[in-house]
Amino acid sequence: MICRLVKRVLVGIAALAWVSVSVNAAPWDHLTGEQLEQKLTEKFTQGQYSPKGADSCLMCHRKNEAVMAIFDGVHGSMNNKQSPMAGLQCEACHGPQGKHNKGGKEPMIAFGAESKLSASAQNSVCQGCHNDPKQMAWHTSTHNLEEIACADCHNVHSAKDSALDKLTINDTCTSCHSKEKADMNKRSSHPLKWDQMTCIDCHSPHGSMNESALNKPTINDTCYSCHAEKRGPVLWEHAPVTENCVTCHNPHGSVNDDLLNSRAPQLCQQCHAPDGHASRVVPEPGMDAFGGGKSCLNCHNKIHGSNHPSGSLFQR
Amino acid sequence: MMFKLNIITVSLLAMSGSVMAANFGVGQANTESVNMEKYQCKRCVSETGYSGKVTLLTGYNSPDDLHAGNALGTAEDGAIAAISGELRYLNSTGYKASMQAHQLGLDNGFANLKVGKSGLYELELDYQAIKTYESGDARSQLWQNDGMLTPSVYPNQFDLALQREKSAIGLNYGEGRYNTFLRYSQEEKTGTQSASLVAPRPTNFGLPVDSTTKQLDAGASLAGDNWLTELSYFGSYYSNNIQDLSLPYLSDVYSAAPDNQAHQVSLSGQYQLDRTVMSGRLVTGRMIQDDSLIQMSGNPLQSWDGEIETLDGRFAVTSMLSNRLRVGASVDHSKRDNKSSSWEFTQYSYNALSGAFKQNVPQDIKRNTYKLNASYRLASGYRVQAGFDRKEVDRSYSEREQTDENNLWAKLNVSAFDQVNINLKASHGVRGGSEYQVNELTSSEDNILMRKYYLADRTRNALELKFNHSPLSWMSIDLTGRYALDDYDATIIGLTESKDYGYDLNINLQLSKNLTAYGFAGQQWIDSTQAGSQSFSSPDWQADIQDEFINLGAGFSYSGLMEDKLTLGGDYLFSNSISDTYLDGSALVGSDLQYGDYFSYNHSVRMYADYALSPKMALKLSYQYERYYDTDGAQVGINTVPGLTTLGELNHDYNAHQVMLSFSYLLR
Repeated sequence: MICRLVKRVLVGIAALAWVSVSVNAAPWDHLTGEQLEQKLTEKFTQGQYSPKGADSCLMCHRKNEAVMAIFDGVHGSMNNKQSPMAGLQCEACHGPQGKHNKGGKEPMIAFGAESKLSASAQNSVCQGCHNDPKQMAWHTSTHNLEEIACADCHNVHSAKDSALDKLTINDTCTSCHSKEKADMNKRSSHPLKWDQMTCIDCHSPHGSMNESALNKPTINDTCYSCHAEKRGPVLWEHAPVTENCVTCHNPHGSVNDDLLNSRAPQLCQQCHAPDGHASRVVPEPGMDAFGGGKSCLNCHNKIHGSNHPSGSLFQR
Repeated sequence: MMFKLNIITVSLLAMSGSVMAANFGVGQANTESVNMEKYQCKRCVSETGYSGKVTLLTGYNSPDDLHAGNALGTAEDGAIAAISGELRYLNSTGYKASMQAHQLGLDNGFANLKVGKSGLYELELDYQAIKTYESGDARSQLWQNDGMLTPSVYPNQFDLALQREKSAIGLNYGEGRYNTFLRYSQEEKTGTQSASLVAPRPTNFGLPVDSTTKQLDAGASLAGDNWLTELSYFGSYYSNNIQDLSLPYLSDVYSAAPDNQAHQVSLSGQYQLDRTVMSGRLVTGRMIQDDSLIQMSGNPLQSWDGEIETLDGRFAVTSMLSNRLRVGASVDHSKRDNKSSSWEFTQYSYNALSGAFKQNVPQDIKRNTYKLNASYRLASGYRVQAGFDRKEVDRSYSEREQTDENNLWAKLNVSAFDQVNINLKASHGVRGGSEYQVNELTSSEDNILMRKYYLADRTRNALELKFNHSPLSWMSIDLTGRYALDDYDATIIGLTESKDYGYDLNINLQLSKNLTAYGFAGQQWIDSTQAGSQSFSSPDWQADIQDEFINLGAGFSYSGLMEDKLTLGGDYLFSNSISDTYLDGSALVGSDLQYGDYFSYNHSVRMYADYALSPKMALKLSYQYERYYDTDGAQVGINTVPGLTTLGELNHDYNAHQVMLSFSYLLR
């Protein structure tokens, strides 16, 4: 009796499991990424779009909140002629319906982490419209070479795209850039952890024609956009400062004050070893004027350069 | 090098034509059978009018220390109030507006307003305030008034804090193939920062900051089916409202940052030929500074004609030669041509070699960077990438006028397994260059064994392993390990070695429809070694600097209480920055020495309860706790060290709290 009951329960569980698997599984799940791309390319070429547009899709998908959220954002706007919803509607991005609605046997173009479609194929949909100067360096960017899909960061089925909201941009970036996420919490850093600054104040996630996808042509130009007082030119330049701000600073954060790679006097002594003076061993930080207070900067305070006629030693 | 790259470009172009790519762009769609007149969208939801929410915040702030204002958004003690919100408006003809405000009323906040017609024009107004707090108990006997630093009998206490207030207006206009933009911003920076002067004793003081930076950007772009071009201008104008500072008995002891301006004109473009994309840009710029110079004997000029001409250029190409192989190359050129004039000026410090007069040295810097990279898909889910980068820098008036750095790197990406991604990256870089020599104009006094670390020969090896695992549908784990070693193999005095290694671990959990949680842990160590010579000969002291950073955090959000009306959440963060310096060598009197403490740590806790009073109204109660401690052995009392005047001990040790009650009203 007990055996029969157990058997029934097991059969019931097995049946439920099969049903749940068959509910979640799509007929095209067995396709590899390449086969899927091939199939979708054929569908796209055939161009069998639905006769009624979005209604044909929403007949089945309207109960899905994530699908319906498209109408909260600009991509769901019907009175903007550049919006997909004002044109081919859902199929503008997801491709022609074909026989997808007839038993759900044909795949559609899908986006995001679950999609087997290659990043470049997914991105070709977005790039079909978004061909503006912000995307000019996309193809040679690290994100493209690393095969990052637009949908990995952006969500168009939403009133608010977290990659575009100043209060969530940093979360979006640091979900992958974990080292930079940690750096924000070091003793000194730019005010990123409180979202007063964002990663895109300095970097272009879509790539740029500059080093490290910076917004400005050089590292120093990027720094000067907020620290214009250090731009000069000044009469007496400090050569490593003029050459590259990151010679001494780490803009992502440091265990030292002022985002410095090392503290003074050691930082200064990594370049300066004259007779006496700067070569002296500074035994304790708070013992004398070489190690106390601002260390070398007690006297050489205009370390970023001086415009004083007598400022060659950055003292005034 | 240019010639070689041109050959590569041509061969890429020649090879790229035969490969077909999946292009699902709407412009490529086969719409022959489409009849949009039959389109219905009965199920489409298109709501016009206002939507969004407005939030009024009020609370109690207990910062305990001015520095806590950084984490709490304001350093005000007592009751605080602010307004936040997000509003969107849309009408049936396509006119739209959006506004976002965050904590307006606190020292840190912003507001942004955009109005316009979708796809045609947009006007943007933006305001942002950022205040950074350093210390609330700095003390100095010098008080600045109209350029004069007047000594007082007793020290005055003052805040070290800087406030930036930036306002901007921007306009975008254009549709489809052409677009234009114009943007103007103005930032006021005010406050007091720590500085130091020599009179002749070193004296730390509070430097007043009051400056304005104006920025004007404009541009126009044109786009075709497979090309894109943009012409733009960027102008920045900095003006300092603080003059050169004097003491009653010594004039012009501290020069002010001079007014300056910078202009850049940029022409950029992109061209796509099937699966080959080329992009290029040329930026020409000028940085000008001709502010009045301090008038004194030994200065031959009223004002100096500081002028830098810059030229930055880039050409890059990338091509998918097949569905498996992508190759790319780029050339960058950057030139900083210092056109400023050179004069002799009297110096206060006697220069043993050149006498009391010294000539300014306008330095030119030229950089060329060449990059090659290839990516090859070995099999589905296995990809290798490799590349070679070369950077060349030429600089005048330097100990080493030319340096070059060659870097070889490779990556392996494995995504073949359902729940696991593995990325491995390794690189090997070598920096060398022209003969290192002590230059009369720069550092004639330096020990001949010194190699400045940014010019020195260096071998850099780095390794990074990233591991991403989703063992269950509701759990993802990311683990990254890093190791990098910089070996300055030709350096005897200066920085000789630096090792940077660490890991970080991130876990994200979606425990149920309503419950999410996360946790992270990371550590980093940077060990550096440098040598010095007090005897101006071979090294007689060595410093080992051991930096360590620890970062831990966890949090959750649960939204399933009281029929989904109540959301509870919490976040915790701990970070600890430590830098220990150990000295060793014959120059030290007695035994080895460890520097005094230099570390900081903080515990940050946030907790909140968000309750939906009705579909349109919500109340949120939040609590934030900040425990912060930092110490630095270099911080000493105002006159503790004979001959040195500081601003006092500016270490921090506080417990700060903030309780906030906010009321939100949903407009739809």
